[in-house]
Amino acid sequence: MAGPTLGASKSQTRIGHGVALFALTLIPFIYHQNYLLHVLGLAMIAATAALGMQLLIGFSGQLSMGQAAFLGIGAYTSGLLTKNFGVPFPLAFIAAGLLAAVSSLMLVPITRLRGVYLSVATLGFTILVFLILLNEEWLTGGSFGVLGIPWPTVGPFRLRGEIPMYFLCLALMATTYVAFSHLISSRFGRALRAIMLDEDAARASGINVTLYKSKCFFVAAMVTGFAGALFAQQTRYLNPNDFSFSKSIEILIMVAVGGIGSLPGAILGAFVVVLLPEYLRALDQWRLVIYGGLLVLLMGLGQGGLAGLVALAARELSATLRRACSGTARPGDAPL
Amino acid sequence: MNTDQLVELTISGLAMGSIYGLIGLGFSMIIRATDIFHFAQGEVMMVGAMVGLIAARALPLPFVAVLAIGVLAGGAVSLLMELVVYRTLRLRGVPLMNIIIATLGMSILMQNGSMLVWGSDAIAYPKLFETTTYRLGPMHVSPQLLWVVVLGVALMLLLQAMLKFTRTGIALQAAAQDPETAQLMGINLTRSTALTFALAGAMAGGAGVLLGSMFFASFNMGFLPGIKAFVAATLGGLGSIGGAMLGGIVFGLIEVFSGRWISSGYRDAVGMVLLILILLVFPNGLVGLFKGRR
Repeated sequence: MAGPTLGASKSQTRIGHGVALFALTLIPFIYHQNYLLHVLGLAMIAATAALGMQLLIGFSGQLSMGQAAFLGIGAYTSGLLTKNFGVPFPLAFIAAGLLAAVSSLMLVPITRLRGVYLSVATLGFTILVFLILLNEEWLTGGSFGVLGIPWPTVGPFRLRGEIPMYFLCLALMATTYVAFSHLISSRFGRALRAIMLDEDAARASGINVTLYKSKCFFVAAMVTGFAGALFAQQTRYLNPNDFSFSKSIEILIMVAVGGIGSLPGAILGAFVVVLLPEYLRALDQWRLVIYGGLLVLLMGLGQGGLAGLVALAARELSATLRRACSGTARPGDAPL
Repeated sequence: MNTDQLVELTISGLAMGSIYGLIGLGFSMIIRATDIFHFAQGEVMMVGAMVGLIAARALPLPFVAVLAIGVLAGGAVSLLMELVVYRTLRLRGVPLMNIIIATLGMSILMQNGSMLVWGSDAIAYPKLFETTTYRLGPMHVSPQLLWVVVLGVALMLLLQAMLKFTRTGIALQAAAQDPETAQLMGINLTRSTALTFALAGAMAGGAGVLLGSMFFASFNMGFLPGIKAFVAATLGGLGSIGGAMLGGIVFGLIEVFSGRWISSGYRDAVGMVLLILILLVFPNGLVGLFKGRR
C-alpha cells in the first residue's frame, strides 16, 4: 500500500501533482468549449466521490455500496436549499456535506459487520434513500425531479457559466486529494492500515476498530456530500435515477478500475468512467458490457488497476531509458 | 379485506417466497462453500427465465418441462462462470474482495450482454395454463401461483434430498463445512466447488422460470430480486437449506402484505430495512434464533 505514490520518489510525486494541477488549471484557458468544461467538471465531481470511496475500500477495507446515497443526500440538500429557500451557496454546500456525514452515522452499527455483509447493508441503505427521493414528492419532486436550481452565488458574486463551476469542481477535488494524502500518512492512516492487515490484531493493540471505521465513513460521506452539492449546481437538475444503486456501483467501478489503494488511481478511474462514453458514443450500448469485462479482467490482475499498470509501464520505461542512456545495457539484462 | 383477497395475497406471498427461497439457497450454498457473495446470482436467474421463455415460445411445452429447461440453463451458465472466471481468479490467488468485485462485474456484463441479445423490452411469457382459476370450495385460486408454490417447494425438497441422501451431496456438505478435512478424506474440492455453483445456478434458473411465468422476462429482472433473495436467506439463516426456504417464504409474505398495507411505493424498502435490522440484531437468522432458544 504505497499511499499516493505510484512507486515513485517523494519529489517525483510532488512534481507529478504540480504538473497535473497546472494542466487542469490551464484547460479552460486553452479550450473554450462549454460542453467539454461541463463534462470535465462532472468528472472531477465523480473523482471527489471516488476519493471518498477509495478511503473506504482502499484504506479501511470496507466495500461500501452506499456512496450514491451520500451523493444524493448532498445534491438534494444543496439543490433544495438554494432553490426553495434562497440559501447562499457556501452555506448550502456546507449543509450538504454535514447532512451526508450525519446520515452516515446511521451506518455506525453497520461498520461492525464484516466483509460482504457490510456491502449488502450499505446497498440496502442506497436503495432506501433512493426510494425516499422517489416517493416523498412534497420534498424532492419525486420522479419529476428538481428543476431550475440557480447558479451558485458566493458573497456578491454569481458564479455563472461553466468556467467558474469548473474551478469550483477542481478546487474541491484538489483539496480532497491533498487532505486525504495527509490523512493516510498520519497516525489515523497507520491505524487504518493496521485494521486492514489484521482486524483482531489491531483491536488487541488498542485500536478502537469501530470508531476508526465509522470515522472513515463519516469523512467519506462528508466529501461525497460536498461532491453532491457541486453536482446539483453543475447539472442544475436533479432526478432520483442519478442516485440509484447503479450509481453506487459506478463509483465502485471507478475505484476498482483506477486501482484500489491509490488516490491518483481513484481520480484516474473516475475520469475514465465519465469521459470514455463521451468519446465512444458509437459504442454506447456496449459501454456497460465493456466496464463489466474490464472489471473482471482488472480484478484478475490484482488490485493495482489502471494506476498500477501505468506505474508498471513507467518503471519499465525509465529502466529502459536508463540503460539506453548509460550505454552499458548488455543483451542479457533482465528488464526490471 | 375479505377471505378471497386474503387467500390471494397469501398465495402470491408464498409464490414470491418460494422464488426468493430458491435464489437464496444458491447464495447460501456458494457463501458456505467459498465465502463468495455471488452478485451475479440474480443474472443467472434471468438467463434461466430467458431460456425458458424461448423454449416455451418455440414449443407447446408443459410448465414442468419449461421449468426443467430453466433449471438446466441456470446450472450450465453458473457452472461456466465458475470454470472460466472464478476458478481462474482463485488460481491466481487474488484477494477475496477482488473476486467479489469480479462477480459484480459479471453481473453487469450479463445484464448488458443480454440486453444486446434480447433487447431492452420486457417480454411476456406465453400462457402456460388453460384454466384461469381453480375452485377450492368457496375460494378461487390462480393455477399459476399455486403451481409456482408447488414446483418451487418441490425443487427445494429435491435439492435437500440430494444433499442429504446421495454420496455426492454428503461430500458437498462436508466440503462446505470443513474444506481441509474433507480434502483429507479424499473429496475433490475443485469439483465440489464447481458442483456447488452448478446446483446454485440450477435453483436460480428454476426460480427465473417461475418468476418469469408470473410476470415477464427482461434483462434487468435479476438484480433486485437477487438482493432480496439474499435478504431472505439471511433472514432464515445463511448456510442452512431449511433456513433459506423458511426465510424466503417469511420474506415473501412480509413483502406482499406490507406492500398492501403500508404503501406500494415503499414495497422494496421493507426488505432493505429488514435486511439492516437482521444483520444487526440477529445475524444468525431465524434458524439461529430458534437454535439459541432450544
